[in-house]
Amino acid sequence: MTALRIAATGMEAQQTRVATIANNIANMSTTAYSARRASFADLLYRQEVTPGVLSSRTGTIVPGGVQIGIGVRTAAVTANPTQGVLTNTQGDLDIAIEGRGYFDVELPSGEIAFTRDGRFSLDPNGLIVTAEGFQVAGGLAVPEIARSVRISNDGQAFAIFDDGTPPQQIGIFQITTFANEQGLEALGGNLFRETEASGVPLTGFAGIDGAGFLRQGYLEESTVDVVAEIADLIEAQRGYELNSRVMTAADEMLSAATRIR
Amino acid sequence: MSDAITVSLSRQTGLLNELSVIANNIANANTEGYRTEAALFSEFVSTRADEPSVSMGALRAHFPVLDQGALIETGAVFDLAIDGDGWFAVNRGGEVLLTRAGRFQTDSDGQLVTPDGDPVLDDVGTPVQLPPNAIEVAVSSDGTVTADGLGVAQIGILMAEPEGLSRVSDNLWRNDGPVRFAEEARIRQGFLEGSNVSPVEEMARLIEVQRMYEAGANLGESEHDRILSLIEALGTRR
Repeated sequence: MTALRIAATGMEAQQTRVATIANNIANMSTTAYSARRASFADLLYRQEVTPGVLSSRTGTIVPGGVQIGIGVRTAAVTANPTQGVLTNTQGDLDIAIEGRGYFDVELPSGEIAFTRDGRFSLDPNGLIVTAEGFQVAGGLAVPEIARSVRISNDGQAFAIFDDGTPPQQIGIFQITTFANEQGLEALGGNLFRETEASGVPLTGFAGIDGAGFLRQGYLEESTVDVVAEIADLIEAQRGYELNSRVMTAADEMLSAATRIR
Repeated sequence: MSDAITVSLSRQTGLLNELSVIANNIANANTEGYRTEAALFSEFVSTRADEPSVSMGALRAHFPVLDQGALIETGAVFDLAIDGDGWFAVNRGGEVLLTRAGRFQTDSDGQLVTPDGDPVLDDVGTPVQLPPNAIEVAVSSDGTVTADGLGVAQIGILMAEPEGLSRVSDNLWRNDGPVRFAEEARIRQGFLEGSNVSPVEEMARLIEVQRMYEAGANLGESEHDRILSLIEALGTRR
């Protein structure tokens, strides 16, 4: 009985949708999180009567045919890389990217990962690191005696001193863009990894070749729109119920079939 | 078996098929660009010599309801919806297929593709190519794609006759009839077209199918009782 299985694919799809919504809502306060959305596609069709076959000797053809679908599948869960709202935090090492691009982060394994989460801090050696302690690529280090750090819009970092020493350039932030940001693989911890789908990382600097500018003292909020997510959640829940109603009906028809004598 | 049972069985077989169609519509109620499948029952008449003719109902054809689905605002750059008639053209393995699901993205080479990676075609049948470093991509209502203010492609919108369309899966349709380019297409960027499945209508259809099926089963049962009592009556008459 195909109706039972079709309804099961429908329920599964709505479950994926609810899981995606749950993850979005759970991450509504995650820095630089982009809301994800599940999209669906119909499955293959069983051709009972192929449209266009001859229906008589005189050459008339079947206009519609009978094509019976076998359900739905999740086609993709994609992040929509839009700009989140920038909130002012006044933090010296809170840096938001306004526009496209990712910061390069060196993982302990030596691999380069990418993030838009610009909540950085200093490690004991004065190196600029992410909240998880991974070093920002480029080896930016702030001298111990520096009073503060000044980061320009195009990514130049300067150490500012109290004793009248002129500001000293300590490095520059690399910004990487991708042909297809949606193809990045999420590693968790706000980190991403390049894949075949994302294309090769195009490493450059802020404000050049399509990369966005940096804003010191700001953090990018998540792009989750809670109201839209809740509306989506209600729709998904109703969709689930509709599919379960189909399952009940199919079940009752099956039991009627077993009673035929 | 008596005619009454055969006739109601032919109807019940059709109803089981229709249940699958309804189940598929409801399963795809949130599939972008999905089109409701409606069923058409038709009568066929079986005539035998010297006997009254018997007419049976059978599920003969389905046809897609091609009404437009609701446009849902998503704000995503590559989410495109066609307002009105027409289809996006995509290339799958050398074949041009049609789709109304406009959730596109770019691939690693900057080509505009569907979630399955099939390239979207422009108005001369070549894949839409975007510069990889474009900051601002805009799609105007006539399908002109501009990247940072420069026109880079024109998205092709095809018009097809409903008779030639058949479903392929993955939100795609095959067209065997004549196609032409739309003269006046209206594309909306940042919107997606939802499915045109109406859950209320499908529920009503579902209940109807279920009740009809039960009616058929009951008919079979009472016919069975009738023949049984006939046999009993004839048996005791001696």
